[in-house]
Amino acid sequence: MKRLQDVEHHETEDLYYPTMCKVTGARQITDMEKWYELEMPEGTSLGHSPGQFVEVSAFGIGEAPISISSSPSKNGKFELCIRQVGTLTNVLKNYETGDMMGIRGPFGQGYPMDNLFGKDILIVAGGIGLVPLRSLINYVLDNRKNFGRLIILYGAKTPSELLFTEELKVWEERDDVELHVTVDQPDETWKGNTGVITTLIPSLDLKLNTTIAAITGPPVMYKFVVMSLKSKQLPDDQIYLSLERRMKCGVGKCGHCQINGVYCCQDGPVFNYADIKPLEEAL
Amino acid sequence: MECFSLLRSDVPALIDHLGDFGEVIAPHGKGDVSYSFEVVRDSSDVVLDYNRTLLPLKKMFLPPVEKLIGFSLKNESYEQVDVAIAPRVFFGVHSYEMQSILRLDHSMLSGSAESNYFKRRQSSRFVGISFEPDEFHFSESVGVVIEEMEGFDLFLNEVDDDFQLYVLTDNGQEMLNGFDKINLTEPEIVEGRNFKKKIRYHYNRLPRVFQYAYHSDVWADVASRCVGCGACTLTCPTCFCFDVQDHVEVTAEDGMRQRSWDSCMLSTFAEVAGGENFREKTINRTRHRLFRKFKYITDEEGLPWCVGCGRCTAFCPAGISMPDIVNELIQEDEKAQYHRTVRV
Amino acid sequence: MKPQVAFFDFTSCEGCQLNKLNFENDLLDILKHVDLVEFREAMDDKADHYDIAFIEGSITSPSCVERIHDIRRRSDILVALGSCAVNGGVNAMKNLHPIDDVRETVYGDDKYLFATLPAMAVSSVVKVDYEVRGCPMTQQDFLKLLIALVLGKQPPKYGSPVCVECKLKENECLYNRGMVCLGPITRGGCDAVCPSFGQFCTGCRGILDNPNIDGMLEVMTSHGISLDEAKKRMLLYNSNEVQL
Repeated sequence: MKRLQDVEHHETEDLYYPTMCKVTGARQITDMEKWYELEMPEGTSLGHSPGQFVEVSAFGIGEAPISISSSPSKNGKFELCIRQVGTLTNVLKNYETGDMMGIRGPFGQGYPMDNLFGKDILIVAGGIGLVPLRSLINYVLDNRKNFGRLIILYGAKTPSELLFTEELKVWEERDDVELHVTVDQPDETWKGNTGVITTLIPSLDLKLNTTIAAITGPPVMYKFVVMSLKSKQLPDDQIYLSLERRMKCGVGKCGHCQINGVYCCQDGPVFNYADIKPLEEAL
Repeated sequence: MECFSLLRSDVPALIDHLGDFGEVIAPHGKGDVSYSFEVVRDSSDVVLDYNRTLLPLKKMFLPPVEKLIGFSLKNESYEQVDVAIAPRVFFGVHSYEMQSILRLDHSMLSGSAESNYFKRRQSSRFVGISFEPDEFHFSESVGVVIEEMEGFDLFLNEVDDDFQLYVLTDNGQEMLNGFDKINLTEPEIVEGRNFKKKIRYHYNRLPRVFQYAYHSDVWADVASRCVGCGACTLTCPTCFCFDVQDHVEVTAEDGMRQRSWDSCMLSTFAEVAGGENFREKTINRTRHRLFRKFKYITDEEGLPWCVGCGRCTAFCPAGISMPDIVNELIQEDEKAQYHRTVRV
Repeated sequence: MKPQVAFFDFTSCEGCQLNKLNFENDLLDILKHVDLVEFREAMDDKADHYDIAFIEGSITSPSCVERIHDIRRRSDILVALGSCAVNGGVNAMKNLHPIDDVRETVYGDDKYLFATLPAMAVSSVVKVDYEVRGCPMTQQDFLKLLIALVLGKQPPKYGSPVCVECKLKENECLYNRGMVCLGPITRGGCDAVCPSFGQFCTGCRGILDNPNIDGMLEVMTSHGISLDEAKKRMLLYNSNEVQL
């Protein structure tokens, strides 16, 4: 047990002061999502790893946990992509280049990159789940020779909800990326796969001993994707999931994001499936 | 460890004397039948025989409502809030309350150590006092006896209506310098202060009970009685969950970010922006509360995260009793074990 | 340009509107943010379009229905003010009786001269964008909503019971003083003003979502009132919300 006398003053932190970051780029990329590029003050770096998140704040409104969407290998700046679903995010949609955004973080556990080096990376992204996974994808692409295959499965409800369409095109054209995109509800222009994301899994040819899966999507998706991957005999500990909870403080204090005994903001949001499988509240 | 005798009538003089070492905070009467920790204005107002305060002493270190930053909407900027380190003496604190502060230290200082909490916690001294257990106290069952003196600098043990004053630390020694209404004496053991409320098992057996308790029928029964007011958690001395909200002045120019105590028993506690609620049903929340007290942190730290103050029961409008729930889980577990054995 | 704001009253005591006139210190600050274009209690002006229309009172007659539709058509944002507008409030107690009996009790032999409907929340007739609860609504609550609308943010929603604010103020629990209080299941946001002054909560801000009604009745009866009395207390402000 941690005791008061074990703690020195200098070891304590002002946990709730945001760093004001300048918006250096902003673009509405779908009806619901806006992309931002931000710059830390005085040339400092955010210093995140793929899968981590920040608390974004707007004064007078509040804070919300937002995944970091850029790779740490992108120097100097970082990117967020924010869906407008809540009070805060609906205000953030008015933020443009030059505005200042309050940032705390990065927080939580990202992907354990040491365990991923040399492996085949299977990305399973549902809807807005592509936002945090894009950080991992771009990290793999920036360090391409350190990884095996890069397989990206991406599902959206409709073609108009597909995120980062220009990057999707680039990934599509690259020989060293296997991209499979599907939509639940196609429109007349759609020529690709139709159906939920799990329909892309059975035909995959995976090397079981070297494949690491990284899954992010809406809460309902995880069980089904995990089931599909399990039916392909992928071992539990080669599956990583990024879970969504109400990560209010980001520093393991406020209690809102607790999943049984673990704090999503500290022990996650990226979890190894083998670790959270016993947790009743996880999936 | 030195022990002195102190007449009950001389306690106000001791409280006045302690004022030299900081602001003295002690239990006072509140309302018709309640008590609360308040700053001492007149030492004769301090209540020595009280069952429990409405809010725990936690409120002095993690305030119910606390300003985190002040901001200006015009300049998109904020100012920091300076939490001063002020010497304080907490007088008349029960053993379970002290134990709750030690647990709170762990919660707020492990992992990311919070500076606000740390500063408030610095320079605090504690003077304990014994108590007569009422129908709600069960601290003995979670390992905290009436005379548990860990964390205190001084401790007052009531003996025959007067007190024996134990000196436990150098700080305690210092606080008695120049106070002459005490006489060296032999410590006595006080008999007959018995707990009426008990958990049937020793607390070190509880993690095992909780290991099998997740799908117990007990939770549905508790949920049917729980009205979801959050009183249990808001008055709990070891709960530390909070919410953070921004408030804007009527000028719409300035405002502040505030945190306030929150409760995992409230239906919106685990709801996210998209509308998904990860503990939507009362049954999930009542279970979570008990698991927080007897399983999750306990597995890691080896101690129940409940100190047996009885507040959650005493202040529950539905009369839901934490020790009763635990005893029901124990009974259920015994039945299950019996059936397992018989079947074999 | 500042938003054009109007206030309208339907079936109510108009106490909420009077409460706004009592803003004193804050009134000038408020008028910095908005243009008041219609407010029967305070001025004579009229306008054709409103950025924000505040509605007080419940809808209780065919002519009310017509008028609220007209206001809705001319308003960008419509806000229900006070418990009568938000859920029917005390007016809705009449809905517990057959409407003809109610008319006869109130108007006697002239009952056929007065058309009447069950007392309805404004939201049962037209779309309501936001609400300020309470009987009367509190000034603080109204100001929070107004500032939120001016800043373009969502006004606060209260998902926690009155007990939360009451506990944070370290009030002595009224149940411990032998009273019966609706705080545990009543929507907070009032800063627990009644219990803070020793008055039990009457539920004027409405019942929380998914309440444990049976549990609450059990709490109330176990603290010394009859089941009948417990139900009456619960229905006082919430006849339209609670099915007993």
